[in-house]
Amino acid sequence: MKVLLVEDNERVSRFVVKGLHEAGHAVNHADNGRDGMFLASSESYDAIIMDRMLPGKIDGLSIIDALRKSGNHTPILILSALSDVDERIRGLKSGGDDYLTKPFAFGELLARLDALLRRSQGNNSTETHLEVGDLRMDLLSRKVERGQRPIALQPREFKLLEYLMRHADQVVTRTMLIENVWDYHFDPQTNVVDVHISKLRQKIDVDFERSLLRTVRSAGYMITANE
Amino acid sequence: MNRVIKSSAFSLALGYVMLGFVALVLFAAPLWYAWQVTIQDGRAEILKEDAQRLTEIYRRDGAQGLTAFIEKRVSLQIAGERILLFADSSLKPLAGNLPAWPLDVPEKSGIYTIVMNLEGHQTRAVLVSNTLPGEYHLLVGRDLARFAPLETRFWYGLSAATAILAIVGVLGGLLIRRAILSRINSIGQTASVIMRGDLSHRLPARYSGDELDTLSLTFNRMLDQIEQSVNGIRNVSNAIAHDLRTPLAELRSRLEELVVNRPAANETFAELEAAVTDVDRVINIFNALLRLAEIDAGLRRSGFVQVDTAKMVAQVVEFYLPAAELRGITLSLRQVESVPVSGDPLLLTQAVTNLLDNALKFVHDNGTITIDVYRWSEETVGITVADDGPGIPDAEKPKVVERFYRGDTSRGTPGVGLGLTLVAAIARLHEGTLEFVDNYPGLRAYLVIAIGSPFKSAISSMTNKTESRQQEKTPLLEAHKTPVLDG
Repeated sequence: MKVLLVEDNERVSRFVVKGLHEAGHAVNHADNGRDGMFLASSESYDAIIMDRMLPGKIDGLSIIDALRKSGNHTPILILSALSDVDERIRGLKSGGDDYLTKPFAFGELLARLDALLRRSQGNNSTETHLEVGDLRMDLLSRKVERGQRPIALQPREFKLLEYLMRHADQVVTRTMLIENVWDYHFDPQTNVVDVHISKLRQKIDVDFERSLLRTVRSAGYMITANE
Repeated sequence: MNRVIKSSAFSLALGYVMLGFVALVLFAAPLWYAWQVTIQDGRAEILKEDAQRLTEIYRRDGAQGLTAFIEKRVSLQIAGERILLFADSSLKPLAGNLPAWPLDVPEKSGIYTIVMNLEGHQTRAVLVSNTLPGEYHLLVGRDLARFAPLETRFWYGLSAATAILAIVGVLGGLLIRRAILSRINSIGQTASVIMRGDLSHRLPARYSGDELDTLSLTFNRMLDQIEQSVNGIRNVSNAIAHDLRTPLAELRSRLEELVVNRPAANETFAELEAAVTDVDRVINIFNALLRLAEIDAGLRRSGFVQVDTAKMVAQVVEFYLPAAELRGITLSLRQVESVPVSGDPLLLTQAVTNLLDNALKFVHDNGTITIDVYRWSEETVGITVADDGPGIPDAEKPKVVERFYRGDTSRGTPGVGLGLTLVAAIARLHEGTLEFVDNYPGLRAYLVIAIGSPFKSAISSMTNKTESRQQEKTPLLEAHKTPVLDG
């Protein structure tokens, strides 16, 4: 995938570019708003990672705004030191697709970027069912079965599993789950999400030979049928 | 002078003087008119009576008799005497003090005001002309110039009144200006002192209830607020200085040790991992402090919306339920009264989350946590989180909401000591309180928040409706929502 990184801090840029290369992405980097605007509008990218406060007289949100107005719908992940809820809302309103606060863990950035890329590739909002291995979720009748066996889930468990299955084969972080499944925007201090996951695992994995829901060390979770 | 003219008090006074003039004119005009009409009518009446009397003499004594009477009267030379003329049918004068019949006066009977030549000077005169039987003509009149001094005196009086009004108005304006200016100047001086950084100064106010005092008191309240915010920031700075330096110092020595000792690779990586954890801790403290400062500044109050407390609490409980079950803790929502409040949904959720987080941290395995949501008073909603954990000694209870306070029992537990401080700040933002009491055994946290004015009256009618409607809608919404990173 081809990704544009617009970020003025040299060390952060180097770190992110290297990490994205290792994850198999091709990366272009702009270290100011003007170059970022130029690259974003002249080249075609699969996703853009955009810092908010940039040198060069044009800030990240203005670039996003200009891109969206010119009909460019490349998924954009906003990277910012501004962490207020209001700032976050402003970022998403300007046309950003996700918002990550600095400082961040690279795993979090990568997971969110993958989620954005996935969303832009397959427009899966019209899907009526999701499948991972022999686990099948019917979105209309809201039924889940593995193999031939129906699995009874509570509404929140259903939502959690749906989110994981929509991002199958991708790492999903705890913060992503809290934001998207519960719509909370702070980190609880206790391991609440882990407990929800292990409860879900009890229902979908425990009696089966292969477990689908895996824990990815120091990153998050992934649902996958691959070995 | 320029400053005087620019002063608002002066222009105010000037306006009043102008208004005074207009009032004076409006007052004098009808008076003048009434005076004129009355005098003229009276004058004409007297002249008519005179003419009547002379006509009587004519009827009694004939033309000779009247001629003699008039000649006698004219010869007396009474000052201010009437204009008198007795003429025959061809208007040839028979007697009187006019040399000839005035050309402007017709022979017909009536009252006429004309300009005529009288003893060598032009003057206005009012004349009553009477036609007597036998085609004789009688003219009785009066020189209006004799009334001129009276009119002049009227105008002099009016001018004098106007002048007095102007002088008093300007003087009054200057006096008012001086009085107001001295108070405004003192406000300005205090403001300058405050701008130089001394926030403890307050504007002079006399509690008299007049507009300037009311304004000063409002400003003083604003200054109180600003001082409080500034102190809040100062406290945060102190807290940052104290509590961020400790983990930073730890981190620094850890890294320095690595540089100096250059240990084996695997050991180095273990240390680096620990260093990353140290940094994360610093970041957490930093985020919590920023959020706290933001809440204390009261900036979020503008974004208040209607929040269904019962529903919000139920969601948080649902979020924590599996974690509690895992440790055999009975987590239950006991009493739930649905009360909508005006508030920030995110912050209220965080407050309840922090209280639950705190309870879960301290309660023993197989313990109990009970939550109630109910109407605390007419204007407030209470949310209590009660546990049967170790509790807090009475002496420590007020301290737990202080920044970075960590009780003895919290040693070895995660957290930076800002969770309850945050809850207290959120309570304050919602005009509420956070209190801790003994639960015999354990701890009971009372979070009381104000319902907020817009929803007080409409509560009972609204609650039921929104509840049922939302329950109908929820499954639909969830089925259609694309749950991909739309947060």
